[in-house]
Amino acid sequence: MSKIIKGPSTRELMAQMVQESEHLSINDRRDFLRKGVAAAAGMAATTIAGSSIASEVNKANLPPNEPAWGKQLGHGVVEHPYGSPSKFENHVVRRTVPWLTADSIASISMTPLQDLKGIITPNGLVFERYHGGVPQIPVEEHRLIIHGLVERPIIFTMEDLMRFPSVSEIKFIECPANGGMEWKGAQMEALQFTHGMLSCCEWTGVPLKVLLEEAGVKPEGKWILAEGADGSHMSRSIPIEKALEDTLVVYAQNGEMLRPEQGYPLRLLNPGWEGNTSIKWLRRLEVGDKPWYHREETSKYTDLMPDGRARKFTFVQETNSVITSPCPEKPMVKPGFVEIEGLAWSGRGKIKQVDISFDGGVTWVPAKLKGLVLDKALTRFSLVTKWDGQPWLLQSRSIDETGYVQPTLSQLRKVRGGNSIYHKNSIHTWKVAPTGEVTNVQIT
Amino acid sequence: MFKSLDNKLKKSLMALGLGAAIAASGLANAGQFNIGTTATPEEIAGWDIDIRPDGMGLPEGQGTVEAGEEQYEALCATCHGLFGEGEGRWPVLAGGQDTLTEERPTKTVGSYWPYASTLYDYIRRAMPFTAPRSLSDQQVYDITAYVLYLNEIVDEDFVLTKDNLATIEMPNQDNFFVDPRPDVKNTRCMKNCADPKKLQIAGTLRGITPVGHFVEGADAPAASHDAQMEQEHNKEKVRKASLKGEEVTSSNGGGASALSESATAGQSTYDGACKVCHGSGLTGSPKIGDIDAWAGRIKQGMPVLVEHAIKGFTGDTGVMPPKGGRVDLSDKQVEDAVAYMVESSR
Repeated sequence: MSKIIKGPSTRELMAQMVQESEHLSINDRRDFLRKGVAAAAGMAATTIAGSSIASEVNKANLPPNEPAWGKQLGHGVVEHPYGSPSKFENHVVRRTVPWLTADSIASISMTPLQDLKGIITPNGLVFERYHGGVPQIPVEEHRLIIHGLVERPIIFTMEDLMRFPSVSEIKFIECPANGGMEWKGAQMEALQFTHGMLSCCEWTGVPLKVLLEEAGVKPEGKWILAEGADGSHMSRSIPIEKALEDTLVVYAQNGEMLRPEQGYPLRLLNPGWEGNTSIKWLRRLEVGDKPWYHREETSKYTDLMPDGRARKFTFVQETNSVITSPCPEKPMVKPGFVEIEGLAWSGRGKIKQVDISFDGGVTWVPAKLKGLVLDKALTRFSLVTKWDGQPWLLQSRSIDETGYVQPTLSQLRKVRGGNSIYHKNSIHTWKVAPTGEVTNVQIT
Repeated sequence: MFKSLDNKLKKSLMALGLGAAIAASGLANAGQFNIGTTATPEEIAGWDIDIRPDGMGLPEGQGTVEAGEEQYEALCATCHGLFGEGEGRWPVLAGGQDTLTEERPTKTVGSYWPYASTLYDYIRRAMPFTAPRSLSDQQVYDITAYVLYLNEIVDEDFVLTKDNLATIEMPNQDNFFVDPRPDVKNTRCMKNCADPKKLQIAGTLRGITPVGHFVEGADAPAASHDAQMEQEHNKEKVRKASLKGEEVTSSNGGGASALSESATAGQSTYDGACKVCHGSGLTGSPKIGDIDAWAGRIKQGMPVLVEHAIKGFTGDTGVMPPKGGRVDLSDKQVEDAVAYMVESSR
């Protein structure tokens, strides 16, 4: 079933455009408004932004001709023992924004959400976050030690760990800094950069609870220090309640052993919590009675408030959502029917509802959740509608099973100011121009 | 068990729905699978490197500001600056007091960090960046003392010890509190949720994100951090040259296929040890592939370059620490890495 959404009236849109163009120089503004008027008058939607992407088409390969690949043989089996995507998909890659970090070794890259389907992120496209680069660890030389306030300190080989009964669960991982560059204003010109510190995989491993039971936690054990084997020896303190609830010690993702970038051969996974707590290249778990207050839970990953005080242990990734089609990378193709699609997720459980607005949050309509709707996993939403070249201010708003409604940017800023860096989960806006071009804007 | 949880934390954990798991976990009944080997005290001791605010984990020893200054200048200043002011985008360590409520706060050890123990722990586990776990406990005490001194938290004659580290009061220690979220409450409004006339729409600041992949067509080279930096570097070179009226060829040496055996062997050492500075030209180091920057150096001949790389060197543009701080590398590894950089830069 499809819904036809009535757009705002031309007069309303013109008023918006005037308001929007106020920061432009006189000439730019005249241009801007002229284009807007042309669109409103129905002359638009023939020029489509992003059309330059399309490579040249060889008509000899189109009907009624028999295409070249139908007149010859292709390569045989095991030409590529481990297959790769089609060479025509080589634009689907992780990307970074170089100025975010001093160097690529302690840096972050983003998942191309604009090109992905469903809810699973392919292993080669899961966003990267390293604090000391990717170590190459021989699986037979990796060890996990559990010690501290336990009855029996244990050292596990990977072979040991893979003997435990395993579980497989689909969970998202998100960097708490996802979107964090935009607390003070829109500055990322693409979905990959506004929301790409986000991925979702099927993870296989052992519940941490099982390993803790194997070691026998002493009654005074309240916190667990997780530490990586890489050069940064990344460490975080995890409350034992989380460890007993749903933390996994993971060795596989999407059916194969972890990628080196994701912690091969072993990582922690704290579902729904900020990604850096899911320590990669996991080598040590120490049970203690208090948190450790290490660098990544004091200097970093604490949220500075306007009064100069800071929040600590801001673990959970609250409900968030974003429209992935259209987006700046995937502008409107042509007038007519269009499926608006996006992703919603919550660190507190399942997504209950997603609503979509075409007018910058004045009016909302329910979207449909499609495919799997899982606890702490990406959830895809969809709304089929029609676009006739009218400008849109597209937004999505998710609600999770706790009833928490994704907030507006103004609501977040009012409480947290502009310097808290992490956990910006506000409603996001794409401006759809009459040309079909989609740009990132902020509405307050 | 688990009855004496800090109330505040307990409340926030309950809010996350974690309360139920605390009861009846039966955790103390160890070993139902009997998998894994009992870890020996020696095995644990080698990896148990963490320090806590109460001093738990600190090794025997002590350090002085004076000794720390020498260590810091040799091992830390390249990235963090002589006074902790930070080079490039590397972390600022000192200063920033009373800026936390400003438009652009400067979060440093002195202005932000709540515990001195974190400094010891972090230096011990991860610094120096190019050679983690290479410092002795003594060096960590010295450098910790010096960074505290840079932040005016201790005096120049201060002696940092296993026993007094936990008693150091950090200026910002009382200003952290447990996460109170959810802290905002939006409602599911469906109609007339805002006044269209009052909507403020702000566009994106253009030109600061790499968008070539969808604006101009494929940008495969710009997909990586290094390649993007390379593009920026080349653009800058072209811009500078155009001011001088010169013609420019690509600065990327591109001699990868012609690498000698030594250079080929040196690539992995370069990646793991040298790239962090020579990949970006950090603090005056000659950037790999920058033909101009290397030409004068290459003229001095390999023996001189290798000696500088092994023993350290202070030049006009910056400081090369002995083996780049990676004293664990053999002379041969350094020599190979130099060959790799030289052959990639002419």
